[in-house]
Amino acid sequence: MTGLAPESDAALQPVRMALRAAAEKQAAELQDEARRNANALVEAARAEAAAILSAAAQEGESAARSEAALSLARARREAHELVLAQRNSLRMELHRRVREAAAGLKSDPRYAKLMARLTEQCRELLGRDAVVSESPEGGVVAEAGSRRLDLSLHVLAGITVESAPGARALWTR
Amino acid sequence: MNHERAQEINGTGPAPPTPAFAAQISHGDVRELRGPLLVAGGIDGVGWDEFATIDMDGGEQRHGLVLEVDRDLATLQVLETTDGMSLEGIRIRFEGRPLHVEVGTEWLGRVCNGRGEPLDGGPPVTGSATLPVSGWPLNPVYREPPQEPVLTGISVIDGLTTLVRGQKLPIFSVPGLPHLTLATQIAAQAASSGRSFRVVFAAMGLTHADIAYVRDRLESRSAGGELVLLLNAADDPVIERILTPRIALTIAEHLAYTEEYDVLVIMSDMTSYAEAVREVSAARREIPARRAYPGYLYSDLATLYERCGRVKGHDGSVTIIPVLTMPGGDITHPVPDLTGYITEGQIVLSPEIAARGIYPPVDVLSSLSRLMRNGAGKDRTREDHLDVAAQVLAAMARARQATELAELIGEAALSETDRSYIKYQTLVENGVFNQGRDEIRSIEDTLGRAWTALAALPEQELNMVSTAFLENYLPQRNHRS
Repeated sequence: MTGLAPESDAALQPVRMALRAAAEKQAAELQDEARRNANALVEAARAEAAAILSAAAQEGESAARSEAALSLARARREAHELVLAQRNSLRMELHRRVREAAAGLKSDPRYAKLMARLTEQCRELLGRDAVVSESPEGGVVAEAGSRRLDLSLHVLAGITVESAPGARALWTR
Repeated sequence: MNHERAQEINGTGPAPPTPAFAAQISHGDVRELRGPLLVAGGIDGVGWDEFATIDMDGGEQRHGLVLEVDRDLATLQVLETTDGMSLEGIRIRFEGRPLHVEVGTEWLGRVCNGRGEPLDGGPPVTGSATLPVSGWPLNPVYREPPQEPVLTGISVIDGLTTLVRGQKLPIFSVPGLPHLTLATQIAAQAASSGRSFRVVFAAMGLTHADIAYVRDRLESRSAGGELVLLLNAADDPVIERILTPRIALTIAEHLAYTEEYDVLVIMSDMTSYAEAVREVSAARREIPARRAYPGYLYSDLATLYERCGRVKGHDGSVTIIPVLTMPGGDITHPVPDLTGYITEGQIVLSPEIAARGIYPPVDVLSSLSRLMRNGAGKDRTREDHLDVAAQVLAAMARARQATELAELIGEAALSETDRSYIKYQTLVENGVFNQGRDEIRSIEDTLGRAWTALAALPEQELNMVSTAFLENYLPQRNHRS
């Protein structure tokens, strides 16, 4: 390996300078670009993080809102069902009392007359040859072949309550 | 109570109610039990379609409908099936008339099964009148054409297939799509401007999970006394399913024509209903027609759908949205096919659109509201509504062509105009059609969004809207020109 002539050193100086300057410039540019890229990446990451955060917050908010709406709806339904159940128990109570009161008719002095009229009704509906007997609970049960008409007092009580026009006002008010 | 009763039996009070006594006569001659059918003998004076109560030995009660009467034999369809019944120990009481329900405002806020019996723990629903569930045929000259919109708060429906008071507009879907979510959203949000609005929701053959969803979603409307919920679950008696829409419509007719409300009846799922009709028909050994549905399926569906409308001299209206699932997506299946003959348009849901994540997945190019003109436009929704709807649809059709072309030759080879149509399609699907499941949009919002999407097209392409509307409504018009 032979070295360059000593005078060439001075001659090459401008070339070295130029090469070095170009390399430095390129390095600075690369560094700049790297910095810019890094900044942009950081920016983008920050923006993405913020977007994810806000989307998550929004999602959470809407999930919480629908969850709250759901539990409100369920609570309201339970409250409404309590009211309805109360109404139903009032209705059952009315039925029970009317049935009791009807059973009491057996000891009423006009019971015989009622029986006669019920018997008449049975014969009218099932025919003259219907066999009419007294029901153990009071009232009559008539039979004609496979047909049977049960006009026991508790059945009559049920019919009366169901058809009484003002009865439902007792539990719907 | 004793005292009052005593007065009645004293001989001076009113005579006992003989018709009520007649309905107490029970028949014990049961000849045959076959599947859901019960044949009773020794019957006299019983008519077709008569409703009956069946008392069993243990005190259990079931219900039945008379399907056929032959001399002294009556064939009954037992609603709860004949499981566990034996020929002995059954007594049948005929009501002397077809099924009637008590109707009135007391239904509002109640939740009942498909036969109208309470599921909410309350007393039986009573009312101011008792009407047959089969309804009365309406004299055609008393009808008034549907008019004025029912706004659902759902952009794609309000904007492009506007529902009109008194209209019947079905939703055609395929299993697996969110048709129930859509129907429930409509039930939760629908309103007619400045009028009192009520909803009757008849669920037929739904799973318990779906029923729970419907109840939760509609709770606030129910608590506000604006909703009647009739729920027939998939495992409920199938015959009950035949009564459910009839009971719903009977309640709705009374609310509309006596109480003067605008009533929306949502019936989901009509395919389950039609399957129940088929099951009963098979049990009656009738001659099957297409896909074993009975030949009278068309007239049967018509007796339900034709109960919607408006009546002269009454303010109220009955609007019907039946939901149908088309097995295998087959629009020629008898149920959607026959429904399409009767109804005034259809809203079609598409699996392809659902797969793109768009809710509600309405295929706007297959959907149509034939009465939209009676419900949209100036003094009803907004002056530009009909023009905008026509333009949005025309542009969607062109966008579909452009998309198909792009698949063949690549998007880069398309003209600038065609590319703008593809961009428009994305904008309109995401900005207008896609909507939250509990999001309510006003008609102004919907039309504003439609204009924003239309602004993606070159102005010379907007040839279905008048220049005055372009001037008033097109966003950034000055900037564009």
